[in-house]
Amino acid sequence: MTLREINSKMVEATVVPGQRLFSQRGAMLAYKGEVSFTPNIQGGQGGLMSMIGRRVAGEATPLMTVEGSGTVFFGHGGHHVQVINLSGDTLYVEADRLLAFEGTLQQGTMFMGSQGGVMGMVRGQVTGQGLFTTTLKGHGAVAVMAHGGVFEVPITPQRPVHVDPQAYVAHHGDVRNKLSTALGWRDMVGRGSGEAFQLELSGNGAVYVQASEEKL
Amino acid sequence: MNAGTKFRPLWQIVRGWRGGGVRTRLRRYLHTVAMFRLQGSKVLAVDMTGDAVKAKNGSMVAYDGQMAFKKLTGGGEGLRGMVTRRLTGEQMTVMEVRGQGTCWFADRASEINLVRLQGEKLFVESSNLLATDGGLRTGTTFTGLRGASQGNGLFTTTVEGHGQAAILSDGPAVVLRVAPQYPLIVDPGAYVAHQGNVRQSFQSGVTFRTLLGEGGGEAFQIRFEGDGLVYVQPSERNTIAGDV
Repeated sequence: MTLREINSKMVEATVVPGQRLFSQRGAMLAYKGEVSFTPNIQGGQGGLMSMIGRRVAGEATPLMTVEGSGTVFFGHGGHHVQVINLSGDTLYVEADRLLAFEGTLQQGTMFMGSQGGVMGMVRGQVTGQGLFTTTLKGHGAVAVMAHGGVFEVPITPQRPVHVDPQAYVAHHGDVRNKLSTALGWRDMVGRGSGEAFQLELSGNGAVYVQASEEKL
Repeated sequence: MNAGTKFRPLWQIVRGWRGGGVRTRLRRYLHTVAMFRLQGSKVLAVDMTGDAVKAKNGSMVAYDGQMAFKKLTGGGEGLRGMVTRRLTGEQMTVMEVRGQGTCWFADRASEINLVRLQGEKLFVESSNLLATDGGLRTGTTFTGLRGASQGNGLFTTTVEGHGQAAILSDGPAVVLRVAPQYPLIVDPGAYVAHQGNVRQSFQSGVTFRTLLGEGGGEAFQIRFEGDGLVYVQPSERNTIAGDV
């Protein structure tokens, strides 16, 4: 395991020669050993086309490549950090929530409309994710930032999970999500319960929820 | 109180309307008490089996199973409660959550404290109340000068009955015991809630130094006497008292 939580707001990454690590630019707090940080103009992996794709999608957060041998500490803005270990499945997360991830993971951009067409696009707008979201696929660890603590809710085929769109952080696994509305006449007359829109996740996997309705 | 699927003899229902004791026993008999538990210190998980809880509007972060959310106008205290809350400014937007499964609540990453009530009264600011068991009654009371010093107005919310309540605090709250021999003095800005048979009075340490602008910043305090518990947060709200 390369990434390790040392407290709720800091992660420690072990860097060994030959293994790259990507992190949000400026998120390094301290390091030991011989480590180099190179700004990644492309904003992640892939070729030129991936870079253009990310720029167009607005999912281009400034990243840097961390190489060498030693230990690096990451943290950003006092946000809570959660390390998620992936073993072959895909993690869906907003690019600005990414603190650091291993180079073994494959980074990509997903169009929200590809999951559920127009409703998928509407969902992206409601959750504040925009029209695109970042995917990370493969084996490795990811450090994700959230406001307040993060807790994991498992999703099984029998038990779909509903999440407040503002408290949603990330999800992984074979999960279908759709926006469910519980709009009634009460909401129309301004007497709503404040839970009109919910993100319904069903399938097999897990969703990460933060203890707050605030964005980063 | 919620009717379960079980058969209930009529005499038991009628007896349940009266005292708190019978009412609690009846509820236990029907097994419809929601289970409150903390997941970490900032998330409240409530396991429900067809019963209801009252929670702050919009504080749900996730749920599984079947849940229905309904806003309760006037804090679910009927027409009288609604009018009282309007007049006193102690407004509370509450929703009723009813269903089967687990529901998670959180509010702006504030710390959550669980309080178990057995017939006594809990006094809490409406903004600090996250969720209460469906069987608990809420209301408003006059607090006098103390309320004004906290910067929260002259009225406060009361929670009464048998069951659990979750209160919010800025940072982990400490529970301090008040005994007849040991009165407790609290900074108005750090006070969160109190329960039990407690009398409170307002005390001021205003001297000629305060008037000269050389005060220690602790000009006003609340004094608690009697027998009960006081919840204090490690942070101070902005109050008039904090400036002098």
